[in-house]
Amino acid sequence: MSRFFATGSDSESEESSSADEITPKATGTTFNKNKEAFTPNLILCCPLRFRFEELTNIIKTIRNAMKIRDMSKCLEEFEQLYRAFLKSKTIVDKEGVPQFYIRLLADLEDYLNQLWEDKEGKKKMNKNNAKALSTLRQKIRKYNKDFETEIASYKEVLNSSTNVISLCRCQDEESESDDDEDSEDWGSDSVDSGGESEDNEGAAASLAVVFLKKAQDGDKQHEPKKDGRRKRHKKIEQVEEEVDEDGEAEEGGWEKVKGGVPLVKEKPKMFAKGTEINSAVVIKKLTEILQARGKKGTDRAAQIELLHALSGISNENNLGQGILVKIKFNIIASLYDYNTNLAAFMKPEMWKKCLECIDELLDILFENNNIFIGENIAEDSENLAISDQPFRVRGCILTLVERMDEEFTKIMQNTDPHSQEYVDNLKDEGRVCGIIDRLLQYLESKGSTEEVCRIYLRRIMHTYYKFDYKAHRRSLGLQGETKSEQDQEESEGEDSAIIMDRLCKFIYAKDRTDRIRTCAILCHIYHHALHSRWYQARDLMLMSHLQDNIQHADPPVQILYNRTMVQLGICAFRQGMIKDAHNALLDIQSSGRAKELLGQGLLMRNMQERNAEQEKIEKRRQVPFHMHINLELLECVYLVSAMLLEIPYMAAHEFDARRRMISKQFHHQLRVGERQPLLGPPESMREHVVAASKAMKMGDWRTCHSFIINEKMNSKVWDLFPETQCVREMLVRKIQEESLRTYLFTYSSVYDSISMETLSEMFELELPTVHSIISKMIINEELMASLDQPTQTVVMHRTEPTSLQNMALQLAEKLGGLVENNERVFDLKQGVYGGYFNRDQKGGYQQKQNYQRGGYRNQNQSSY
Amino acid sequence: MCFGPFPLHQTMASRKESAASGSSPLETPVKQIQIDGLVVLKIIKHYQEEGQGSEVVQGVLLGLVVEDSLEITNCFPFPQHTEDDVDFDEVQYQMEMMRSLRHVNIDHLHVGWYQSTYYGSFVSRALLDSQFSYQHAIEESVVLIYDPIKTAQGSLCLKAYRLTPKLMEICKEKDFSPEGLKKACIGFEIMFEEVPIVIKNSHLINVLLLDLQEKSTVADKHELLNLSSSNHLEKSLQLLMDRVDDMNQDIGKYNTYCRNLSKQQQQKQQYLQRRQQENTQRQSRGEPPLPEEDISKMFKPPQAPPRMDTLLIAGQVNNYCQNIKEFTSQNLGKLFMAEALQGHSS
Repeated sequence: MSRFFATGSDSESEESSSADEITPKATGTTFNKNKEAFTPNLILCCPLRFRFEELTNIIKTIRNAMKIRDMSKCLEEFEQLYRAFLKSKTIVDKEGVPQFYIRLLADLEDYLNQLWEDKEGKKKMNKNNAKALSTLRQKIRKYNKDFETEIASYKEVLNSSTNVISLCRCQDEESESDDDEDSEDWGSDSVDSGGESEDNEGAAASLAVVFLKKAQDGDKQHEPKKDGRRKRHKKIEQVEEEVDEDGEAEEGGWEKVKGGVPLVKEKPKMFAKGTEINSAVVIKKLTEILQARGKKGTDRAAQIELLHALSGISNENNLGQGILVKIKFNIIASLYDYNTNLAAFMKPEMWKKCLECIDELLDILFENNNIFIGENIAEDSENLAISDQPFRVRGCILTLVERMDEEFTKIMQNTDPHSQEYVDNLKDEGRVCGIIDRLLQYLESKGSTEEVCRIYLRRIMHTYYKFDYKAHRRSLGLQGETKSEQDQEESEGEDSAIIMDRLCKFIYAKDRTDRIRTCAILCHIYHHALHSRWYQARDLMLMSHLQDNIQHADPPVQILYNRTMVQLGICAFRQGMIKDAHNALLDIQSSGRAKELLGQGLLMRNMQERNAEQEKIEKRRQVPFHMHINLELLECVYLVSAMLLEIPYMAAHEFDARRRMISKQFHHQLRVGERQPLLGPPESMREHVVAASKAMKMGDWRTCHSFIINEKMNSKVWDLFPETQCVREMLVRKIQEESLRTYLFTYSSVYDSISMETLSEMFELELPTVHSIISKMIINEELMASLDQPTQTVVMHRTEPTSLQNMALQLAEKLGGLVENNERVFDLKQGVYGGYFNRDQKGGYQQKQNYQRGGYRNQNQSSY
Repeated sequence: MCFGPFPLHQTMASRKESAASGSSPLETPVKQIQIDGLVVLKIIKHYQEEGQGSEVVQGVLLGLVVEDSLEITNCFPFPQHTEDDVDFDEVQYQMEMMRSLRHVNIDHLHVGWYQSTYYGSFVSRALLDSQFSYQHAIEESVVLIYDPIKTAQGSLCLKAYRLTPKLMEICKEKDFSPEGLKKACIGFEIMFEEVPIVIKNSHLINVLLLDLQEKSTVADKHELLNLSSSNHLEKSLQLLMDRVDDMNQDIGKYNTYCRNLSKQQQQKQQYLQRRQQENTQRQSRGEPPLPEEDISKMFKPPQAPPRMDTLLIAGQVNNYCQNIKEFTSQNLGKLFMAEALQGHSS
């Protein structure tokens, strides 16, 4: 162990500090790197090491807390340390009290005394800290009595080497006065190295020697290290700059990386000095690196670094594009691997790196026509070396891009949709689309139809939910009006409708997996519906027969189907097809789980119904926020169409005993509205609809209109439509018509005859419209009346039953039901009696029946 | 509607004991009820003053039994009080009232209670319960049902009811399960029995009335032929329909119960058969038979729905039907009369 640390300490502290940026404690690296150094006694030392590591960790935190004068934290940690020390009692007994422990105790006491003396500083402290300070001071004083001798000896040594330490301190302070970022890094780093070297001390026999050595070490270390830091910073900057530049400059950039500290150490490990670097060696190294992949304890961040370095090396040595492509594949793959948890999403920097890598990879692929890639190319038939033959590389870029797309979705799912961050992330969508587009071009020339289908679907998935404003504007002929440079540019591109059509049709023709075709159809319908091409959308939906077998599809496709149906319904509504709209939305709305069905959020449910695992799965299915369909709009559209259907229907079937509700949801809302003890002016969208329905019930279309279309509703709902004005006009008209029908149903019994002109005035409809509506009602036998042409009046026939008659009819129907029910009971009884009751009881029953009948007759006789 | 069970005070129970000491069941059950005009007027007045709409008024009947008839000679209303004054002691009030009446030499024996009704809906659980407690304490007690709506239409509607002995027995046992009711052979027709009523005034009052009749200035404008049909009939139908709905529900419940029961019986049967087979097999092999298990524990019979409510609903439906029948037959008569009159005049 001592060997292990004595040699490895420098590089290791470096290592772990670089790894620390991502993983908190990279113990794995040390093991990994020093595989050769594994000796049996290391394993024996493990508990010791484990305990001591625990202690050193705590000590590290205490020292940090001391630095920022956080006394309460100090106290807390000290208590923890005390406990941890007790735990490792057995080891301590065997090995003696570790030096670093003594050192901390002494330091802490000194530090506390110093603080205690500093009266002014104490005053400044907040109450908690001051309290913690006094407690801690007492504690440590008591505790240190046990270690008096050790501490004394330590202090002795300390005095002898004070000068060295003070030197060291100077350095520290100096570095701290450096620029912000640097000093931050630096601070943590110095602590790190301290911690590690303290480990050394634990094992080392002589404190003084080690300590002095450490101090010297530190001295030596500081200079190159600082340099290294600087360089690394520069490197990062440069890399960022050079991303956009061409490959030549990049090479230069990569060189600096090698000059960077972490790689200086690694390089000799990668390739022994002087080895001729050729493709075979690089490939060997690559496989070596890759073998560690997926193993426990592999530092994934370091792996990515290694791969990057390797790509730099290969680039530098001009080993050809084949190897570069291969390495790139692996870099991307390991980027994806970075998160072991499937639910976790990529960190932004990783994501950026990933995008860059894929872009570069595509660059290479486009530039070099002679590279063949594919997942079906076997590992051993790869051709990576430069030769006359084209390169053959195993790997599937399509999968990588698909994975990237999924990662993007994951990132969007995990970002708060109302933050700026979301907007920033969403900006990457352009790049994602760009990559997909480029790959699409690439695959169109090189890929198989299957692959083309897959990438087409990806493209479709990124297109279908976006409203094509420029096409919309063009169709309205408004292009000339808003003419900025950008607009012009944008309108150059192809209409999304045309793109969708082309891509989808290709998939319809060529795809052999049902899933892709289903998705494509649904997206196509969605796109049609979004752009108000109702008939195309509907026909496609009907022709695909998706409604029959969608329940066999997997949940994401079902969510897509639900989204499509909803969009279809909204489209129908915009087109004034109220009934279609209602039917399309019925399934989603009636369940009351619209949010869940559309994948736009989880419903609060008790935990019994859903365990954590399920919840995770469901969360993964969620649609990112920018693709959401506005639920309030959806509900409003549904309720308004239900109102337009239900209110006349209710009026027409007021006395029908077996009246069926068209929409349960709507009735529910009505009932909720009725239950309100005090009816204020409507606030929410639902209240508006309920109030409008009530007005409509009375045939009062003006009030109804004012409830449905007003400022509040406009801002809440109607303005969300692209063709707001058309929709509103359609709505007004529908309200007028349906109010007229309701009015006729409700009040026809009051009239002998009614002039159509009056009606047309009342409802502000043209006479022919009124005429047609009334004619329709007469034909459908909804209204018992006839039209008197010369006088333009409707003459009521009065064949409607009176309310009493209606009531009697209802009663008759109910009694029918009662008799039926009764019969059922009787049937059951008979079956039961035949079955298992013994005969005596049966006889008894019959007797009783007779008796009862007799009794009844007697009573009858007596009463008449 | 507030059908609070009518409180009975202690004295009544004690009176019953003293009365019953001679003959526990009345030897000659009450065959008819004789009501004083005063009582009728008092009841009507009570409703006019306090009852409105579907609200119900209640009160106490006082009187005594003479041979086979129950004479109801006086009554007093039960005050309506809101739920706020909790400290209102109903029993106390009743006692006070009766003591005061006794002081002025009025019959102070409790013989029942009265209650107004809304379109003939009175057959309910509350009425059953309170009438049961009355009849349990005072055997001859009856409930007078007063229908203000019909009365307002010109025909005084006052009916006296009491529970049949059979129903009394069932109520005593509190066994409302289907089996219990079947065993008792009780149907909705024989739950309540109506007791004929005679209204009787003292001769002095009759004389006074005759005297007043001559002096009366009220023009006798009888709207004899007024049908006043629609509203009344509609209301009755509405109520009838509601009851039918309830009935339907009850039947549904009973139906499911029956089905569950039979299903369970089948399972039980199967289980027993299997058991038997196994046992015979074991016997042939010479093994001891399986131990007996408590079958009733394994197959708990489903909870039977109480049937009393159904009976009551049936009784109520019957009641409505009677009402409607009566009403329509009267109306029909009026219509024929009108036709005849028209024919005569033309």
